[in-house]
Amino acid sequence: MARVGVFIGQYHSDSRIVFDALASYAANLRAVEKVRLLGLRPKVDVKALADEIRRERLDRIVLAGDSPGYFKPAFTRAFELAGGDPSEVRLASFREHGAGLADATERAKAILACAVHGVPYPLVAVPRPTTVHPATLVIGGGVAGIQASLEIADAGKKVYLVERSGTIGGHMAMFDKTFPTLDCAACILTPKMVAVHDHEMIELLTNSEVTRVTGSPGAFKVQVLRRARRVDEASCVACNACTEICPISVWSEFDANLTHRKAIYIPFPQAVPSAYLVDPAACTWVQSGGTKCGACAKKCPKGCINLDEQDRSVEIEVGNIVLATGYEMLDAHRVEQYGYGKYPNVLTSIEFERMTNASGPTGGKIVTKTKELNRRLKVEEWVANPQGPPPRSVAIIHCVGSRDPKYNAYCSRVCCMYSLKFAHLVREKLPDAACYEFYIDMRAFGKGYEEFMERIKAEGAHVVRGRTAQVVEVDGQLVVKGEDIVQDRLVQHPADLVILAVGVVPAQGTVELAKALGVPRDADGFFSELNYNGDPTYTERGGIYVAGMCQAPKDIPDTVAQASAVGAGVLRSISTGHGMGNLDSLTLSEIEERAARSQAAER
Amino acid sequence: MAIRVNPKLIDELATYGAADVQNCYHCGNCSAVCAHSDDTFVFPRKPMRLLQMGLEKRIEASLDPWLCYYCGQCSTQCPRGAEPGETMMSLRRWLTSRYDFTGISRLFYVSWKAEVGALVLVAVLTCVGFLTYGFLNGNIAHYDGPTAFLPSSVVHVFDWVMAVALSLLLLINAGRMWWFTTVKNPRIRPRLASYLKALYLLPLQFLTQKEYARCESRRPWAIHLSLMLSYVTMLILIMFFLKQIQEGPAIAWPFHAFGYVATAGLLFGVIHAMRGRIARKEPHLKHSHESDWIFLVMLLVVTLTGVVQHVLHRSGLELAANIAYVVHLSLVVPMLMLEVPFGKWSHLAYRPLAAFLAAIHRDALVSQRTSTANGEPGSTSRALAAA
Ligand SMILES: Cc1cc2nc3c(=O)[nH]c(=O)nc-3n(C[C@H](O)[C@H](O)[C@H](O)COP(=O)(O)OP(=O)(O)OC[C@H]3O[C@@H](n4cnc5c(N)ncnc54)[C@H](O)[C@@H]3O)c2cc1C
Ligand code: SF4
Ligand code: SF4
Repeated sequence: MARVGVFIGQYHSDSRIVFDALASYAANLRAVEKVRLLGLRPKVDVKALADEIRRERLDRIVLAGDSPGYFKPAFTRAFELAGGDPSEVRLASFREHGAGLADATERAKAILACAVHGVPYPLVAVPRPTTVHPATLVIGGGVAGIQASLEIADAGKKVYLVERSGTIGGHMAMFDKTFPTLDCAACILTPKMVAVHDHEMIELLTNSEVTRVTGSPGAFKVQVLRRARRVDEASCVACNACTEICPISVWSEFDANLTHRKAIYIPFPQAVPSAYLVDPAACTWVQSGGTKCGACAKKCPKGCINLDEQDRSVEIEVGNIVLATGYEMLDAHRVEQYGYGKYPNVLTSIEFERMTNASGPTGGKIVTKTKELNRRLKVEEWVANPQGPPPRSVAIIHCVGSRDPKYNAYCSRVCCMYSLKFAHLVREKLPDAACYEFYIDMRAFGKGYEEFMERIKAEGAHVVRGRTAQVVEVDGQLVVKGEDIVQDRLVQHPADLVILAVGVVPAQGTVELAKALGVPRDADGFFSELNYNGDPTYTERGGIYVAGMCQAPKDIPDTVAQASAVGAGVLRSISTGHGMGNLDSLTLSEIEERAARSQAAER
Repeated sequence: MAIRVNPKLIDELATYGAADVQNCYHCGNCSAVCAHSDDTFVFPRKPMRLLQMGLEKRIEASLDPWLCYYCGQCSTQCPRGAEPGETMMSLRRWLTSRYDFTGISRLFYVSWKAEVGALVLVAVLTCVGFLTYGFLNGNIAHYDGPTAFLPSSVVHVFDWVMAVALSLLLLINAGRMWWFTTVKNPRIRPRLASYLKALYLLPLQFLTQKEYARCESRRPWAIHLSLMLSYVTMLILIMFFLKQIQEGPAIAWPFHAFGYVATAGLLFGVIHAMRGRIARKEPHLKHSHESDWIFLVMLLVVTLTGVVQHVLHRSGLELAANIAYVVHLSLVVPMLMLEVPFGKWSHLAYRPLAAFLAAIHRDALVSQRTSTANGEPGSTSRALAAA
């Protein structure tokens, strides 16, 4: 049996591994003669080390650590000096094999054990083939969820797509144009949405949420809460009769609260499924316990409205789960200096997206909000009316709530580009209006993005370097104050419309979902991928994948790419029975045993 | 002209209290929220930049730090925790050390031990000096009268000698400030007429500190003003009416009334500042340099010993009053000798001077600019006119 010396070095000070525990584990391995903790970035004295190796008569050295390659040259030299075979200096590289996450120490032990036995960890740590249930659950029906569902279903595997709202499409469905190509968003998305609806392998569960997940990778049991739609999806023909008669108006979420919808509604005309739904919180019938109103049910020519329908729970079985829950906008009220909520003509980006959308509340006209009387509630409200006066000047403020530890320390990654898109839309639709863009750093990193920025500048938008400090009102006029740091001067621009490029945060419910699934989240609250560089679509939990914004801020091209990659992982798992090589499906003792066995086989 | 860069400038500034300059990513938020920043003097972002680049001479020539009154709005709103307000404060310390030709100021700012040591030394010397004089010429049991231990006429002469010496030192340093910021500044070509036109700003700014009042919250200004007025009252009493206020034991109400009000003002101001620095709630009191504490503690003990001395004397305890007086003088003298020309107190000259010079710079820049004027879109005045 080989006499093995284990040297444990630390390269990063923030390692999650408990090094003492690791050392005592190593000392208990049979072949190990010597264990030494080297500490953080040690200076290695080659000669002394060679003496030590000779003294202990070591014939294999395991150099363990988060990035042990750093120390390898010195050890190789020492081992050679001591007359050893340099190929017997083995690395146990924790970072490389993913021991940076939760049960880091456990995994580090496994990696170390493999190195001591002299067998590559990735060879040993492949989980045993299990029977993987061929169906897949996709949570979230934004462009990420849609793309992943189609990839998997097109390969002939069953997909359950669970979407919380009444329609799939997510945020992309709200946009008119996409940067940097200025393609029509709906032209890309709508066909995919319809494809999802019509796919024989996809079961679409809208108005639904995942409440509980049990089982293990390959065989999950999932409980889905199906909220009552109160309209029969199959027979509704979207004739709009119910909406016309409904007396209740509430703010429309899909239109970012720029306008109203009824208590029975369809989020937007191209919604999938193309069926109406009832908002139980607003509906008089539901709220009165079935004693008042009910007008829509009487009016519906197809008789497909059942106002008394109840929520129900269904259980499904799947082998893999894809997380695609996307994002939400940071609450702009929090960034007080910009006066969102105080000044009606300070809009968030998502509100502006709806305003510029040809099928949005203003038919794509850029207007300032006007005060109108809400007759039912007898209060005056600010609404975006297509007849409203157009702004003479528009200011777009970048990084609202991003790159600022008071809100989000991270960069939201899409706002620079969508802000440029907005500038283009303003210049195109209102050539006489001045358009100012205030930025700190312009993050135009994608294919064609830099060129897009140059194009927008050439179109006449004033792109000012320097973030706005404040939005104030002077005699009824909004004024944007900032510093133009290139010109070294303070600027105060009057703006009739101010658009805040608000940062993104994980979707509501992410915390609960992470708990239910046992998937860790990163410091910013997004789901953690297994390895940022190597495995950006897997999670630490076997059989669970991430796609789109729910993993980190990203634009549509990256979202779609990641979603397709998820498709590959899921299909691989179904066809080979191998999930990801994680410790969830393999215990430490199993790995030890396998390592010992493969060493024996080598002999 | 070659530009000299001092790459260590940022590290140097850290000893003066500016620790987070490198965090700044130049969003310009701070300059825009600052109530004192305007088209000519854009700060604090620009000084942050100059510091990051190590442009020592540019900073030496800058008036910006003296136009900042540290309301702390910039630091509160800074998204990077770069502490622009504290940086401006540190720059004022650094500039003070640059203006001072003796190098003593610099020594004090980089080493509080040196400052304390110097204070102790001067205190001991003062104490020994007054005791020697008193024992040779008077009786320690007598406060008033011909055998008084420290007669007011003698202290009076001492006061005036000290005042002249301090004024001279301060004047030389103020002259250096003018030299660095205005004469040697290649970007400013001041006109003689502007000097005359702005002259009124010196007394006005000194007495009202009206620039300070432009901060969003006027409370710090009011407190500072009452503190300053209390000092000036004390100064006038001591320099011109020492006889009336020192001799007793009867209370000379027409003079002492002023003294009491001023003392109350001083105590209030000092205790307020100390509490604020301990609580660290307001942005401008969050960071305290050692020199701030030394200064406040000196002020407090000086005021308290003055009060004690006065009470003892008026209660007829002459021996005790004499001892208290010597202690008081042994604290006042080092405080004035070291703080006025070399320490925080020098701002009594630099602040009004900065307001004066700023007006001159502004004038010069306007006339320089009109020769190259082009009125680009987006300039403040135009944009507002359009609004
Ligand atoms: C104002 C703005 C403009 C933009 N413009 C562009 C652009 O022009 N070009 C571009 O490339 N990118 C753009 N983006 C980025 C783009 O929106 C995203 O890259 C993309 O929408 C991400 O898709 P997603 O599917 O990951 O998330 P989402 O679109 O957010 O979809 C997530 C879906 O999951 C659902 N969901 C959430 N939680 C749950 C749950 N617990 N259970 C069930 N369902 C759930 C949601 O209802 C939603 O339907 C823009 C972003 C913003 C904010
Ligand atoms: S993408 Fe641009 S606007 Fe958005 S947070 Fe990043 S830098 Fe700021
Ligand atoms: S607010 Fe902070 S980050 Fe922005 S320019 Fe000022 S100091 Fe720099």
